[in-house]
Amino acid sequence: MVEKNRLVDKIIFFLLVLLVVFFAVFPFVQMISTSLKYQWDWGNPSLIPRKINIEAYKELLNIGQEEKNVPESVITLLKENDQLSKAQKKAILDKFKSTGDIFPFFRYFANSMILSFSSAFISVAIAILGAYSFSRVRYRGRGLIQRGVLLVYMFGPILLLIPLYTISAKLGLISTSAGAFTTLMLIYMVLTLPVSLYMLGNYFRTIPFSIEESAMIEGCSRFGTIWRIVIPLSLSAIFTVFIYSFMIAWNEYLFASVFLKSFSDLNTLPLGLRQLFVSKNAIWDRIMAASMLSALPVIILFMTIQKQLAGGITAGGVKE
Amino acid sequence: MHFKKKSYAFVRRSQVLEKRERNLGWFLVLPSIVIISALIIYPIIYNLLLSFFDVRMAGGNLFTGFRNYLDIIGDHEFWRSVWTSLIYVFFTTIGTTLVGLVVALLMNREFPFRGLVRSLILLPYVAPVIAVVYSWQFIFDPVNGIFMHISYDKLHLFSQRINLVRSPETSIFVAVLFGVWKNFPFSYLMILSGLQSIDKGLYEAAEIDGCSKWEKFRYITFPEIYFLMGSIILLRAIWNFNKFEEVYLLTQNVKVLPVYTYLKAFTGIMDIGHGAAIAVIQFVLLIGFILVYVKRVLKW
Repeated sequence: MVEKNRLVDKIIFFLLVLLVVFFAVFPFVQMISTSLKYQWDWGNPSLIPRKINIEAYKELLNIGQEEKNVPESVITLLKENDQLSKAQKKAILDKFKSTGDIFPFFRYFANSMILSFSSAFISVAIAILGAYSFSRVRYRGRGLIQRGVLLVYMFGPILLLIPLYTISAKLGLISTSAGAFTTLMLIYMVLTLPVSLYMLGNYFRTIPFSIEESAMIEGCSRFGTIWRIVIPLSLSAIFTVFIYSFMIAWNEYLFASVFLKSFSDLNTLPLGLRQLFVSKNAIWDRIMAASMLSALPVIILFMTIQKQLAGGITAGGVKE
Repeated sequence: MHFKKKSYAFVRRSQVLEKRERNLGWFLVLPSIVIISALIIYPIIYNLLLSFFDVRMAGGNLFTGFRNYLDIIGDHEFWRSVWTSLIYVFFTTIGTTLVGLVVALLMNREFPFRGLVRSLILLPYVAPVIAVVYSWQFIFDPVNGIFMHISYDKLHLFSQRINLVRSPETSIFVAVLFGVWKNFPFSYLMILSGLQSIDKGLYEAAEIDGCSKWEKFRYITFPEIYFLMGSIILLRAIWNFNKFEEVYLLTQNVKVLPVYTYLKAFTGIMDIGHGAAIAVIQFVLLIGFILVYVKRVLKW
């Protein structure tokens, strides 16, 4: 009887686990599936495409698109006409070539990359110093600052967006593309700074102070110990925090949509994806392929730091 | 005498050290303070100021006193969005916490492939909102979506294929479901860390006393994680109340407060002053909720 109960218990347990995994992963599977389907296959509830269609990915990544939009008549004309020079022929062809205007993935990718990388880098660099001060240096007012940083958790993005937009508009920062881009980078940096401060502070506290002490007895300065001891000992934590900040910036839509509104060349992946969706080029396989391509870098990064990140979130330092 | 002099020098030295320590501390934290003050604290104060003005991008702002606030309080749409926000926050918070609790209880047991399962179920939390909303829209798409295929074609729950994401009555449920899906990994991780810190001896003692599974949960697990759960619910309520992207990008029909504010301030005639005032009201509502909650539930 006890044996049977155990078996039933086990089966229920595994069914529940399966259900949870299904719930979490299904939208991703749906995304991959639809991105690989032909239009006539969309209504098919099966997740496995009847015929694999990678046209959407090719289109977005601009692979093999050169000859596609050139009308047949123009090609025969060019072939038969010997009077035109090579350069002239190329110029005519260029007129018809698709230059990946539907979704210039690589440009969006580069913009997102530059923004996320630089904001995360500066944020982590500043946070290392601040977190060291929180966790290692004793002075009055330390607790107050620490709690003040936590308070930032309560402010929603909208509450910051309106004044930041008005201030930068009045300062003329968002009338030039360079100004708008830099402002956005600074904003991403400050959005991730509290997280970085908190997570790094918690980590630094776990490093035994005696290591630093012995270095200082040997004549190492305070900055020397940060550079030679604290940073090398916490490289994995610093990397985790960097990736976390990177992901926040990479995923952000709201601020980018307001600050980069008039500079389509500087659009990030989330903005591009949104525009694709509201444009006349919106068809499901294309949208799903673009979604996939936007999510993939983050998912890969996440897989590399998955263990530490889970710890970091529970260490109490995560803001959305 | 000699001894006294020495101790005086010692005190002097330690004071110098203390001062040096303090200076170092402030020096190191200064960049963070400057940046947070300039880009968070100052803007929030500036926002409070803006809410009393008719804001014009070209030229000066016009002081209008409480005009913006009175306009908003008299606006039906504002009250409707307060109500929408309450429904959204209530159900997403309860949903994420319950799902998170169940998942945490499951993941607290050993089973094969646990590592893989744990990382797979974190995916919703880390993926960009924009990259997953369209997949959800496709699932609920009236023509191609799997949801309508099952509920209409197979189970005949609906009299016709309807667009659940677009229609005003049902879109809030989709938004809530999406919010729960996106954020349950956070609650699960936090609750799991709480479960893992419970003393195993308590369960052993309960087993000796012949407690059932439910009794173990009710009398050991639940009291041990009560305050942790309370804090998680508070955090989630604050964050869900401030959610913009997860609602706005999924459906245009669920006008929670942040969406209402965004639409007022950045679309149409771009009424920054009104937007600022709503943002202030929203913040005050949030503070009020936090104070009541902390007193009632967390009993601080």
